[in-house]
Amino acid sequence: MSVQTIQGEKLVQMIQGGAANLSAQSKKIDALNVFPVPDGDTGTNMNLTMTSGVKEMKAQESSSAGVTAGRFAKGLLMGARGNSGVILSQLFRGFSKALEGKESVSGTELAEAFQQGVETAYKAVMKPVEGTILTVAKDSAKAGWDASVEEDDCTFVMKAVTKEAKASLERTPDLLPVLKEVGVVDSGGQGLLTIYEAFEAVLEGKEMSYREEEEPSLEELVKMEHHQSAQSHMNAEDITFTYCTEVMVKFDAEKLSQKPFDEDNFREKLSEYGDSLLVVSDEELLKIHIHADFPGEVINEAQQFGSLVQIKAENMRDQHESIVNEPAKKKKVTEPAVITVGMGSGIKALFEGLGAYTVIEGGQTMNPSTEDFIRAIDDSGASRVILLPNNGNIIMAAEQAAEVADADVRVVKTKSVPQGLAAMLAYEENGGLDELAPAMEEASTEVKTGEVTYAVRDTSIDGTAIKKGDYMGISGKKILNCGTDVAEVAQNLLQELVDGESEIVTLIYGEDRTAEEADALASFVEEKFPEVEVEVHEGSQPLYSYIISVE
Amino acid sequence: MGRIVIVTDSTADIPEALANELGIKVVPLKVHFGEDTYEDGVDLTSSQFYEKLSASETIPTTSQPTPGQFEEVYQELNEDGVEQILSIHLSSKLSGTYQSAYIAQQTLGDSVPVEVIDSRRASYAIGIIAAEAARMAAQGESLESIRQRIDEMLEDTTVFFMVDTLEYLQKNGRIGKASALVGSLLKIKPILSLNEAGEVYPFEKVRGSRKAAEKIVSEFRNRFNGRPVHVGISHAQAPAEASAFMDRMKESFDVQQEVITDIGPVIGTHVGPGTVSISVAPAARKN
Repeated sequence: MSVQTIQGEKLVQMIQGGAANLSAQSKKIDALNVFPVPDGDTGTNMNLTMTSGVKEMKAQESSSAGVTAGRFAKGLLMGARGNSGVILSQLFRGFSKALEGKESVSGTELAEAFQQGVETAYKAVMKPVEGTILTVAKDSAKAGWDASVEEDDCTFVMKAVTKEAKASLERTPDLLPVLKEVGVVDSGGQGLLTIYEAFEAVLEGKEMSYREEEEPSLEELVKMEHHQSAQSHMNAEDITFTYCTEVMVKFDAEKLSQKPFDEDNFREKLSEYGDSLLVVSDEELLKIHIHADFPGEVINEAQQFGSLVQIKAENMRDQHESIVNEPAKKKKVTEPAVITVGMGSGIKALFEGLGAYTVIEGGQTMNPSTEDFIRAIDDSGASRVILLPNNGNIIMAAEQAAEVADADVRVVKTKSVPQGLAAMLAYEENGGLDELAPAMEEASTEVKTGEVTYAVRDTSIDGTAIKKGDYMGISGKKILNCGTDVAEVAQNLLQELVDGESEIVTLIYGEDRTAEEADALASFVEEKFPEVEVEVHEGSQPLYSYIISVE
Repeated sequence: MGRIVIVTDSTADIPEALANELGIKVVPLKVHFGEDTYEDGVDLTSSQFYEKLSASETIPTTSQPTPGQFEEVYQELNEDGVEQILSIHLSSKLSGTYQSAYIAQQTLGDSVPVEVIDSRRASYAIGIIAAEAARMAAQGESLESIRQRIDEMLEDTTVFFMVDTLEYLQKNGRIGKASALVGSLLKIKPILSLNEAGEVYPFEKVRGSRKAAEKIVSEFRNRFNGRPVHVGISHAQAPAEASAFMDRMKESFDVQQEVITDIGPVIGTHVGPGTVSISVAPAARKN
């Protein structure tokens, strides 16, 4: 039985329905939250705001629609939490103003109330942003108004409002680019729609079951799961399992007769293979989403219950790379682009983490050529480039490349990896070359460099005999000590480099050393120099057991 | 009650005694640990907060005061016969607090004389402005000269934050233009500041707190060379560092007013323990 006019009692039911629906969906709405700050609390905030409104309204129920709306609005206002909560409270503040003094509400009056809500909210917000809850409220109120002209019936109006709210919500990504980027609709708008849907259901006399109806589909669950992990995992190292795996199986009666399907048991079984597990099944189909290292085993498990309909396994580390690198590509390349030189995956990662565009493979024994630099400059497509040679023997090649290249290129004459890293600290995206190059040069002089490597032949330097295979502690061009024990050589070198002015020692250990050895060396420094902070990184560089930066 | 009253919010980190002395009304923001909600500085002190933070597995969230809270405060002051309320708040780029205050002001309309001001700052950089305005009001200065002084301070007050980690800013989505630093594997001490719009941006990246302090002092020297200044230092559980920094400032500047205060729960949620923030404003008025 649909409702033409709304009295106080009906309004109470509508609002309670809205609150219940919002409460049921608040987690889902949290997951959509990317604007204005991606803190994932829109659903929670709107839900608590709504709860406060309902509480105030229920404290003293009234048969008058106007009084009911007024109490509800007051409760919202006092409990408004977060931006979306505040806007929700303003929408209903205007809404309730329009109903003031009215015992019951006609379709036209309902439409007017929505309109006035929108006006109040727009006025309240200093800089209304389109593509948010405000847009959804505005578009839907307008549709309600148009409907009320056609027919003065509350249910008819509410249906028009809800329908347009839904359509408007779908359009929010077109208006707000950040939504499109993440691939979601606006969270606040979704919250409002959730309330409106319940209003409509109550008016139509439909029972709304707040659980089953919004049980999200597997696709939605997967999207939410990925979106949340995109927010919390900024680094590729945070990805625990490699493959995002999705499997769909059509149940087979024969197989089931041998091995009956139990969703809970199955879920528990699969949880051994990975995380982010989602299992959804009905009579016919079994759908699985999991992040696992061995998708084949997941598929085998699933296949025991039926035939495979669909399989998907994507390497998330690759995906992550492309996601992380995509913004840089979209901006073509961050200007000015930093091109630097180093050996070892760890060293490359250190430079890239600080914003370097490319790390050309090379160093002491493998000097990149002028051509190598030019190729890297051309590949970047950047119009402005900074080169960090990180080795005294490579500076000239870099300088020649700077002369020949079409791009505007500066060479910051770093002579070691630690100098290069220190220079990167002064790098700023979109900085001018004339300011950046000298600032980076200056920053590079603020560190002392030490290196531990081994002699490739018998030799004698400064009267000290060095045998092939001996380790040497080097700073700049000077060999400070040598010996057969790498740890001892490194310790002696560190004692030479670290003094009362030193604050941070960074140890980058090479491919011939283990993390344990590096940690032991770090403990040595911490014991000797309690004021100094020590950082250990895996550089994976060849030839150099340790590269040490002291600053 | 004076004729002109300053209202601010709990993120100004004004020590309670000072707020009482100067008659500043402080409206609390909220901190949520899971289901539990606390009012910043009312039923959750800074030390209680950091204790809870270290014990809690999830990072708490925060929310702005409701427009209703502001309405109540403004209305109460109005009933007390206040001539003008100046309501100075946390950067609108970081929080909806200003928005809530603005809604309250719009709702009350002309019946209550409120002016809402976006400080475009955070922590004691708001406090330094609010305290100066309240001091002038207590001395019976005119609304016009207080407003003018606020405008000057909005222009000149400079704040730097030395955070221990970007983790908290990132998790709460307030990292702004400093997000480029997140990918770094090297431990970097970013010196963050707030730009003219009130957004977080990285002023410098350095390694080591000594170097960070040097950079900050030298930047203050560039900006306030030879002028007497007010200095406010707020810290999240780092009192020794805060007072050492104050000593250092006094060596380099003619410090006319100094305040060392705790970074309260709301700002603490976003910057994390170990943070030290330094705010400086010129002490003398422009002519």
